[in-house]
Amino acid sequence: MTTPKGGCFGKILEIDLSKQTYKTREVPDEIYQKAIGGNGLGAYFATTEYKAHKDPLAEDAFMFIGPGPLNGTYCVSTRMSIAHMSPYTGLISHAETGAHFGNEIKWAGWDGIYIKGRSKKPVWLSIVDDKVEFKDAAKVWGKTTEETHEMIMKEMKDPYARTAVIGPAGENQVPFSCVIVERFRAAARSGTGMLMGNKKLKGLAVRGTKAVPVADNGKFMEMANYAKKLAVEKEAWQGIKRWGTAGLLEQNNYFTGSLITKNYQTTWYPDIVKIGGEEAGRKFWKRHVACNHCPVHCLKLGVIREGKYKGLIAEGPEYESGGLLGSNLGMTDLNTELAMIEACDAYGIDNISTGGVLGFATELVEKGILKPADLDGLKPKWGDGETYMELIRKICYKEGKAGKLLAKGVKKMAAQIGKGAEAYAMQVKGKELAAHDPRGDKARAYSYCLGSCGGDHHEGASTRALIIFAMLNSLSLCSFASGLLWGGENAKITVGMLNPLCGWSMKEDDYWTTGKRIMTMERVFNVREGVSRKDDGLPKRFMTEKLPAGPKKGNIFTAEDTKKMQDEFYSFVGWDEKGIPSEATLKGLGLEYLIDDVAAARKEYKS
Amino acid sequence: MEDKKKKLPELIRTETTRRGFLRGTAVAAGSAVAMATIGSLAPKSAQAQAKPPEPKKDPMKFLFAERQNCTGCRACEYACSVYHTGVVRPSVSRIHVLKYKDSIDVPVLCWHCNDAPCIAACPTTPKAIQVDPKSNGIILNEKICLGAKCLKCQEACPAQYVWANPDTGQPLICDMCGGDPECVKACSAQSGNPQGPCLMANKLGFGVNMAYRAVTPEQAGADLMFLTFYPNVGGKRITPVKTAKTKKARR
Repeated sequence: MTTPKGGCFGKILEIDLSKQTYKTREVPDEIYQKAIGGNGLGAYFATTEYKAHKDPLAEDAFMFIGPGPLNGTYCVSTRMSIAHMSPYTGLISHAETGAHFGNEIKWAGWDGIYIKGRSKKPVWLSIVDDKVEFKDAAKVWGKTTEETHEMIMKEMKDPYARTAVIGPAGENQVPFSCVIVERFRAAARSGTGMLMGNKKLKGLAVRGTKAVPVADNGKFMEMANYAKKLAVEKEAWQGIKRWGTAGLLEQNNYFTGSLITKNYQTTWYPDIVKIGGEEAGRKFWKRHVACNHCPVHCLKLGVIREGKYKGLIAEGPEYESGGLLGSNLGMTDLNTELAMIEACDAYGIDNISTGGVLGFATELVEKGILKPADLDGLKPKWGDGETYMELIRKICYKEGKAGKLLAKGVKKMAAQIGKGAEAYAMQVKGKELAAHDPRGDKARAYSYCLGSCGGDHHEGASTRALIIFAMLNSLSLCSFASGLLWGGENAKITVGMLNPLCGWSMKEDDYWTTGKRIMTMERVFNVREGVSRKDDGLPKRFMTEKLPAGPKKGNIFTAEDTKKMQDEFYSFVGWDEKGIPSEATLKGLGLEYLIDDVAAARKEYKS
Repeated sequence: MEDKKKKLPELIRTETTRRGFLRGTAVAAGSAVAMATIGSLAPKSAQAQAKPPEPKKDPMKFLFAERQNCTGCRACEYACSVYHTGVVRPSVSRIHVLKYKDSIDVPVLCWHCNDAPCIAACPTTPKAIQVDPKSNGIILNEKICLGAKCLKCQEACPAQYVWANPDTGQPLICDMCGGDPECVKACSAQSGNPQGPCLMANKLGFGVNMAYRAVTPEQAGADLMFLTFYPNVGGKRITPVKTAKTKKARR
């Protein structure tokens, strides 16, 4: 076992909530070389520690909060990743988020936080360098993320402390609840909130004062400075600096033709002028907020200036939140939409899945499949913000018939309702889709179908990008300030930073091998749970309904498109025609320990 | 004649040099290759002539912050710690970006007060912290400083700017990087953005320094909260406190 020379400390904070104890788990350098960190390390733990068909909410189920080797160094915009087995989809999942929490973990001297067990009483964790304390969270249990954040900050007595907390949705075991980091950022989409709520862990606060060791500082700074220069100067990114991802709302409506509208019925939404980035800039935004060392500062904060919610400070709209809770619900009132986004943040619920669920319910009511009587007398219709607000609250507290039904998520809702509801359920692998319609933006189907968590927009929109994103999520880097922006230079820059930082001798080829290895580890986990090619497809609507309007009018996603995409990716990473990693691939990637698992899973397929 | 040439726009100047070069070719009977070489050399020498002697850069003596422009990216903290320790370590940075209610970022910096209450409070003889007359930065003498058990400077700073080094317990005070502050450079490099840079440096101080310094980070945060989000609602000014006597429990 070798200790890492730099970038990583070689130790992970392992917390056992059942016993309320913690210890240091030593991780050798080889594992970091193999799995990098963040999502990759999470996948490594999941494949080595879990047997097939694990209960994701078992007492010994873990969640791994992982920064990567580059966190806490001079590299631009470093984030963090929460990896675990999702209680929502039953597959491996990872949730990425920005803010400063990931770096603070590194500065506290840890390469990540591994949490298992279940506390008897609600607790929150205070981590200050090596000192870990279990604190009573009875006072904050039931409170919103904002109140919890404030209270934890008061007890930490340190303005540099960073928090990650859950809200009422996580406590009430809503499967698409999320972890809210530093009040406005969400580590969402995979049921992170539900898992933390199940462990009776209300939140974490971290503060670190150390520095991340660097093996060869001179060379590292050279490459890190180059990467930063790109992030500062790249012309294409100036728009994101000004409008954040909200600028894409207009872009995807007028140009790309992929702005989801009314539960994916169309991609043409002329009312976008009322809720788009331009209008938000005019009526709402007040300031830009950046993550660590990031020149892009895509998060926008503003204050609602008129109407019922006047005076509310909120975040957004981003492309996904503005799409799912905006055009997807036919909203025309920016103020109410922003209040909905803020409500989702305060309750600690994923606003992509929430938007998907609300859009689905609205369409079912429109088609007469769902009756207002099934929804506690509420009748959601496009653009009716107040009803949506009420439904969001009901979901988070699982209140009444409506709350209990909608909190199941689109896939289980469709199964329960029947009557052809399946046709309107827009999900892949049990997870609602994000705000890009693959009929307009075909490349996005790669991310939805082939990404390991299913239905996710943050997995890379081409064969190579899928590998790049597997690396980004493991390095815990931002896709704007690093990944997408580096384009063809991704391998060069990443390797150029990692080698002097960690004292490794990776080649550019190793970048791709490592990415493939991480994808394959995750895939094997999913294969054990029964995933194969049949699950890597889009909902039927994209195959049968042509886009009725907009710049990509008449477009459709064909079965050939799906097959081409799958074949291309499977052959690139070395998976067979069923989408299962072949034995040769596993050997080539150094994943021999998974060969038996895959063989066992194959047998299950035949029977 | 030389002066006039300098003022002419680029295109015409190249034109004139080319004419000069043509005169040269009459003597050298040039080939195309020679033309190209001389042609590329000629503007260079013209530039060299036009270049004024490099002015000696005066050291900057004061820092300013347009606090509403801060995006909270902490590039200043990164640059500061890299300059002082070689690696990124915000806990030893001499500039701080603090969050207020997670909606506002407050840059907390040394205002380089003329009367320097921190130095006045330093109990050692000679003083462990002293002003560098050249750059106006405050230089710490680590051998004399009493460290964690004293920190009178921390108590004395009206802006609650001074933090202690987590390793040595000694105060972290801005030394102006010898007159060319790294945080300012990092901030302006970072801000190829619509907001513009937050940090600035200057040779001269300005009245606002003395006004700002009496405001604690928390008060500044509350103030900025109003300035940013509710400018017309409650944009009332925070009354500066005279002294901050409470020693905050800081690490």
